[in-house]
Amino acid sequence: MRREIVALIAKQFWTDAFKSRATYVMIFLVSVILTYAAYSGWKNYATQSDIRTQYQEEARKSWEENPDKHPHRMAHFGSFAFRLKHPLSLFDFGMESFVGNAVFLEAHKQNTVNFSEASFSTGLLRFGEISLAMLLQVLLPLILFFLGFGSIAVERENGTLKISIAQGARWMEILVGKSLGLMKLALLFFLPVAVVILLLLLILKGTLLTTDELLRYVGTVVSYLLFFQVICFVSTLVSAFSKTSKDALVKLLALWLFFVIILPKTSQALGSYFYPSPSKIEFETILEKELIKKGDSHNPDDPYYKALKDSVLLVHKVDSVHKLPFNYSGFVMREGERTSAEIYKKHHNELLKTFQKQNNVTRFTALFNPYVAIRNASMALAGTDFGSYVNFQEQSESYRYQLAQEMNELQMELISNISPDADEEPHMISKEHWEEFPDFKHQFLSISTALQNEMWSVIALLFWSMASVILSGILSKKMKTI
Amino acid sequence: MLEAINLGKNYGTFTALKSLDLKIEKGEVFCLLGQNGAGKTTTINLFLGFIKPSCGEALINGVEVKSNHHNTNSMIAYIPEIVQLYGNLSGIENLDFFSRLAGYKYGQTELKNYLTKSGLQAEAHTKRLSTYSKGMRQKVGIAIALSKNADIIFMDEPTSGLDPQATAEFTAISKELAASGKAIFMATHDIFNAVNIGSRIGIMKEGSLVNTISTDDIDANQLQELYLKTI
Amino acid sequence: MYFLIIKQFIRSKTAVLAFVILFLMGMISILIGKQFLSKQENTIAEITRQQQEHIERNVTYHKDNLGLLLYYVRFALVNETDNLAALSVGQRDVNPSVRSVTIRNLEGQKYDTDLNNPSNLQSGNLDLGFVIIYLFPLFIIATTFNLLSEESETGTWRLIAIQSKSKLRYLLVKLSIRALLLYSVLIMLFLAATVTLSLHLNEKLFAFIALSIVYLTFWFALCFWIVSFQRSSSFNVLTLLSLWVALALLLPASVNNFVTNRYPVPEALETMIKQRDGYHEKWDLPREATMNKFFAHYPQFEKYASSAPGFNWLWYYAMQQMGDDESAEYSRSMREKIMQREQTSRLISLAIPTMHTQLLFNDVARTSLSNHMRFLDKTDEFHERTRLYFYPKIFQNEPVENENWDEFKPEYISERSDFNWLNGLSPLALITLIILFLTILNTRRI
Repeated sequence: MRREIVALIAKQFWTDAFKSRATYVMIFLVSVILTYAAYSGWKNYATQSDIRTQYQEEARKSWEENPDKHPHRMAHFGSFAFRLKHPLSLFDFGMESFVGNAVFLEAHKQNTVNFSEASFSTGLLRFGEISLAMLLQVLLPLILFFLGFGSIAVERENGTLKISIAQGARWMEILVGKSLGLMKLALLFFLPVAVVILLLLLILKGTLLTTDELLRYVGTVVSYLLFFQVICFVSTLVSAFSKTSKDALVKLLALWLFFVIILPKTSQALGSYFYPSPSKIEFETILEKELIKKGDSHNPDDPYYKALKDSVLLVHKVDSVHKLPFNYSGFVMREGERTSAEIYKKHHNELLKTFQKQNNVTRFTALFNPYVAIRNASMALAGTDFGSYVNFQEQSESYRYQLAQEMNELQMELISNISPDADEEPHMISKEHWEEFPDFKHQFLSISTALQNEMWSVIALLFWSMASVILSGILSKKMKTI
Repeated sequence: MLEAINLGKNYGTFTALKSLDLKIEKGEVFCLLGQNGAGKTTTINLFLGFIKPSCGEALINGVEVKSNHHNTNSMIAYIPEIVQLYGNLSGIENLDFFSRLAGYKYGQTELKNYLTKSGLQAEAHTKRLSTYSKGMRQKVGIAIALSKNADIIFMDEPTSGLDPQATAEFTAISKELAASGKAIFMATHDIFNAVNIGSRIGIMKEGSLVNTISTDDIDANQLQELYLKTI
Repeated sequence: MYFLIIKQFIRSKTAVLAFVILFLMGMISILIGKQFLSKQENTIAEITRQQQEHIERNVTYHKDNLGLLLYYVRFALVNETDNLAALSVGQRDVNPSVRSVTIRNLEGQKYDTDLNNPSNLQSGNLDLGFVIIYLFPLFIIATTFNLLSEESETGTWRLIAIQSKSKLRYLLVKLSIRALLLYSVLIMLFLAATVTLSLHLNEKLFAFIALSIVYLTFWFALCFWIVSFQRSSSFNVLTLLSLWVALALLLPASVNNFVTNRYPVPEALETMIKQRDGYHEKWDLPREATMNKFFAHYPQFEKYASSAPGFNWLWYYAMQQMGDDESAEYSRSMREKIMQREQTSRLISLAIPTMHTQLLFNDVARTSLSNHMRFLDKTDEFHERTRLYFYPKIFQNEPVENENWDEFKPEYISERSDFNWLNGLSPLALITLIILFLTILNTRRI
C-alpha cells in the first residue's frame, strides 16, 4: 500500500463530495440540528443542575434549621438526595430522562427515586431525545452512508474504476483511500462538535476540567473516532461489493435500519421478556414477608425482639430496660434498621441482577453491532448509563443508612431510658448535632469504574476498528473490478 | 511481449473465451473483430487482470498476469470504450489524478504537453470534464495512457460513437503511437478503421479466435467479406 | 393483468423478506403487549391480596389504637388498564397504575414510582403502536420507492408507456397491490392481537384500527408523491428515508427537547421539600397555630378540640394535613406545568402525523400523560374521601373492631378515553389530502 496513492484517492473523494450541491445542503441541515442539540443539551444541563443544587441547599438549610429535638424525630424528618448531572451529560443524555432525580431519605424506609423527566413527559418521549450523542450515533452514520454509498459502486458503474485499476491503483489503496476520504467528512462534522463540547464544559464549570473529566472527554472523542472509522470502512466495503450504486445505497440503508433501529429495541424488549422483573408491589411484599420472618419490630410480642431484649438484659446484668446504660428503644431501632437494610439490600441486588440480565441481551449484541457499542460506551463516559444510576442509588441508600444509624446512636447515648410524662417536655438533644452530620453529596463514578461497567462495549469498539481494516485487507484480494 | 497461452474463461457452463493462443510484438497494432459477446472484452479483461482466467495464462512482457497483476498493470495502459473520468474535475486535473495513481508526478507543463499530444485543444484543458464531448474525453484517456509511458495500450471499442472527424484524429494518434514502438491491442467493430490502423486483424466468434490476418494481405472490402463469412 | 403484477411483486425477494420481518415484528410486539398486560393483572391480584393481609395484620397489632393503625394502613387505588394498552403502552410503563396510600399527607406518597429498569424505559416499548408508527412506513418506503424508477431503469417503462392505455392507472394498480398486501398484514396483526389479548370489539378498537389505516394512507400518499417526480431510485429512497428520519426521529425528539426545556418542573422538588417541612416543623411550633389552620380547613372537626397536653391524634393528623396544605400551591403549579407540556405537544403534533398518531394511540388506549394526570386527581379525591371518613372516628377514639375492615378492597377507576373521531382523524386526513393534491399536480406529467 502506497501512502501517497491512498492520500490521493482520499483527497479526490473529499473534493468530489464538495462538487455536489447535495453535500452542502446536508452539511447545512446537520449543522443546524447539531447546533440545536448543543444548545438544548447545554440549556438542559444548566437548568437542571441549578434546580437540583438549589433544592439540595434548600433541603439542607431546612435540616440545619431544626431546633433541639428528639433524634428520632430527625430520623423521620430525613433528608433528600438529589442526583447531580455529570457535566458530560450535556453531550449524551443517555438514561438521564428515565431515571429519578430526587429521593427522600428517612429511617426505616427505602423510598423510590422520584421525579424522572419521563414522569412529566408526554407520549413524545417515546421518539427519543435529541442530544449531540444521539445525532452522532444515529444520524451521522446515515449521513456518511448517504455520502459514501457511491464511493466505489458509482465508479464501477461508469467504468472509472477500470481505468484506476489499469493505472495501477491497488484495491487496498482504493478501499483505504475512499474510507479515509469519508472519514475526513465525518471529522468535518465531529471535530467542531468535539471542540464545542470542550468549550461548553469549560464555560459551564468556569474552571479547568478535573483529570477524571478530561479523561472521560478524551475517551469519548476516541470512542467516536473508532466508531466513525468502522462506519466509513463498512460504507466503502458495501459500496465495493455492490454492482450498482443503488444496490449499495439500499444495502447500507437496510444495515442502518437493522442495526440502529430494529435490533437494539428488539433485543432490549426480548431481554425484559425473558427475564421478567417483579413489580413494586411484589417486591415490597417479598421484602415485608422476609422482614416479618426475621423479626417484626412493630409487633409488641415478636419473639426475635423478645430474645434480643433478654440477652441484652443478661449481658448488662439488669432486670429492666430502664436500668440499661443506654436508651433501649434507640438500640432496638438500630438493630431493626440494620436488619431491614440488609434484607432490602439483598433483594435490591437481586432486582439489579435481573435488570442486568435484561440489559445483557442488548449488551451482548455490541459484539456485532458497533452502534450498541458506542451507545453504551458513550453513556458510561458521560455518566448517564445504568451503572452510574445504580451507583447513585447505592450512595443515597448508604447515606440514608448512616443518617438513620447516627440518629439511633445519638438516641442511645443521649436520650434517657425513662419516658417523660405527658405534661413534661419531651426528650431532646441539641441542634448542634444536625449540623455535625454532613450533607449528601452525589459523587460521580471514576472513569475506570464506569468503563469497567461497559467493558464489553469498549472491547467491541476496538475489535471492530481493527476488524474493519483487517477485513478490508482480506476482502481487497477478492474484489472484482467489473 | 503480449502473449496468451491456452487462455480461457468460463462463467458456469457458459464459455466466454476458449483456449486462446496469441502473441503480439512491439510496434504492432492488433485489432480484434467480432460480434457482441464474441469474447473481445473478456480477452482484454483477462490481460488487465480484472477477471481471473479459468485456464491457461496471459503474459505481459513474459510476466503472468493472474498472480502479478500489480506488476503487469504498471506495464500497460487502458482506454475503455467510454472514458468516464471525474466529471467535476478538469481534463488536466483528471490527468494529474490518474497519472499519480500510476506513480508519476508531472508538472503543469508536462501535463499540458500530454493533453496537447493527445489532440486536446489547450482551451479545453481547464474546463470541467462534464462539459466534454465523447471524443474529447477519449483524448484525455489517451493522454492518461501516454503519461504512463506504458509499452502496451489496450483499447476497447475506441471509435464507437465518435464523429468522423474525431475518428480521423484518433486514427492519426494511434498510428503515431504504433510508430513510436508501442504495442496496441484494440477490440473494435469498425472494419474500415481496423484495416486502416491495424497491422494484424483477429476475428473472434463464440469465444474462439477463428482467423488472424495481416493487413498487408487484405483491404477493407475483402476483410468485410471475410468477416461476414466467418461469423 | 392484476394477477401478473401481484406475481411480479411477490416474487421479489426483498418484498417477501420485508413482509416476513414486518409480520414477525408485529407478532413479537403483540407478545410483549401480552406480557405487559399479565404483569398489570398480576400487580392487581397482588395488591388485592396484599392489602387484605396487610390490614388484617395491622388490625391485630394495633387493635386498640385506631390512630396508630391508620398511621400504617394503606389503601389502594387502581387505574384500570384497558387491554388496548398492550397495543400502545404509552406512559404506563413510567407511571404506575396502582397507588397505595395511607391517610397521612398525600404529597409525600403521590409520586412514588414503580421499580423500572431505566434501560427498558430508554429503549421504549416494542408495542404494536411502535410497529405501526415506525416500521410500517419503512416497509411502505421499501416497496414503493422504485415503483416507477425501477421500470425506467430496467427499460420497461418505455414499453409500458406504449402498451398501456394509462400509465398512471398502471402505477396506481401497482401501488394498490402494495397497499392491499400491507393493509392485509395490518388486519392480520389486529386479528392476532384481538385473539391473543382478548380485546373487545368496541369503538375504541375500531378507532385504533381506523387511525392506523389513515396514518398508513398518509405514508402511501407521501411515497407516491415522491415517486410522481419521476426521479431515480436512489434519489427516491434517499428522499423518503430522510423524510422518515425527520418525521419519526428528529422532529418529535426536537419537539420533546423543546417542551422539556421550555417547561422545566422545579415545582416537583419544591413540593417534595415543602410537604416534608410543612408537616415536620409543626412538631416544634405551638400546637394552637396548627390546630387553627386545621380547623380553618375543616371547621366540622373543631368540636373535637381538646386542651389536654401531650400527644393526641387530632394534633398529629392536623400536622400531617399541613404537609399537604402548605405544599398545595406548588403541587398545583407542577400540575399546570405538566399540562402545559401536554398541550404544547398536542398542538405541535397536529402538523406532524407520526407524533399525532402516537398521542392518539395513547389516548385510545388510555395510556397518555393526561390519563395519568387524571389518575393523580382521582388519587387526590380518593385520599381525601378516605381521610375524611376516618378523621372523625380517630378523633372520637372509636374502637378498631367497630370497623368492618374486610370492606376495604382496592378501588378502581375507569377513565373515559380521550379519543374523538373528528379531532383524531381530521389532521391526518387533511395532510394526506394536501399531499394527494400535490401528487395530482405532478401526475399530469406522467
